[in-house]
Amino acid sequence: MFMEDKIYRRLVIKTYHIDRVQLRDRFSIEGKKLGINLEKIDKIISNTSYIKEIEVAIIEPNQHDRWTNSIMDLIPIATKVLGKLGEGTTHTITGAYVLLTGVDEKGNQVAEFGSSEGVLKDQMHLNKAGTPSDKDYIISFNVTLKEGAGTNRMAILETHKACDAFIQEIREKLKKVDSKSYTEKHIFNDKQRINGKKVAIIKQVAGQGAMYDNQILPKEPSGFSGGRSIIDLGNAPMILTPNEYRDGALRAMT
Amino acid sequence: MGVGPSTKETTLHHFRDPLLDVVSNDEDIDLVGVMIVGTPQSNDEKSFVGKRAATWLEAMRVDGTIISVDGWGNSHVDYANTIEEIGKRGIPVVGLSFIGTQANFVVQNQYMDTIVDFNKSEKGIETEVVGENNPDYLDTKKALALLKLKMRGK
Repeated sequence: MFMEDKIYRRLVIKTYHIDRVQLRDRFSIEGKKLGINLEKIDKIISNTSYIKEIEVAIIEPNQHDRWTNSIMDLIPIATKVLGKLGEGTTHTITGAYVLLTGVDEKGNQVAEFGSSEGVLKDQMHLNKAGTPSDKDYIISFNVTLKEGAGTNRMAILETHKACDAFIQEIREKLKKVDSKSYTEKHIFNDKQRINGKKVAIIKQVAGQGAMYDNQILPKEPSGFSGGRSIIDLGNAPMILTPNEYRDGALRAMT
Repeated sequence: MGVGPSTKETTLHHFRDPLLDVVSNDEDIDLVGVMIVGTPQSNDEKSFVGKRAATWLEAMRVDGTIISVDGWGNSHVDYANTIEEIGKRGIPVVGLSFIGTQANFVVQNQYMDTIVDFNKSEKGIETEVVGENNPDYLDTKKALALLKLKMRGK
């Protein structure tokens, strides 16, 4: 018997390609150019207890012969334009990604089980799902923590929060780009394939402490603010819809 | 214990996860959801969350599941336990994990007969190179193919 698939909800992801990132007097997205501004960094630091310094740098494609501190995360820049995570419309930037790195003021790398400091081109495998491509810009967000804070869970959370506050400035511009000027548009439906085999994906993720943590369901795609830590959820299994997961519901903090 | 630089999945990885892409685009598969389960410290807690994950699957009446993990060593204790709880309930299960030469399973059971090793390093080790030992499209297609075979046998 043939039965029709049942559609629960729809998510539209529009990509906006960036081919140049520049330091400017304000945050901006003009055509394929992204402008970033560092004026609020001091304010971000003043709201923290464990962060001593933040350095932001623009790394051009193929300019990876440079030192990097331990890589804490690689983060896409995406924002909700309509609806909540997992439905509605999301805008995301392609061609530029944020690299979050961390060290403490005594030079101790922020890591839990081996660390990735060294020459960037040797420490990051490009062109993977989780890393930029060789043609992408990287916005490096390097955090220097106070001595010994790298193993303090609160300091790590604060680092992610600070980086998220910076990315939010870009998101605010990304929300306002002309919705018809997208590079690509993808439509995803959460649906029941009536005649398909029922399968669940399980992702076992870290959940014990500093640099061994994950958050789910932040306010913004792949964001930090508003998310809930899997540690605080008792590490108990939580179910996401495919579209929630696709819309950046899981934030790695490993 | 834990998640090393080469096996850790970045937030960008989760955003563009090949596993989700492959499973959700397969016309024969009705993807019911993505379950996120943590890796707690004590054995008591490990056993608790593993059993809850398997109970969820039973309640959802799934035909099968793919379980992926981005850590090894201590994380494999949880991994083996959750797989056992799922397998005991008669639910076909396929795994994705870094194994290589360095991360042979510290504990094993009869339900761990179809684990796809996504090691990419030549020496089979934690190289500390971010992105290197992550599951890609080929790994996830292998896992889904194995699961389809297992589900057919049911």
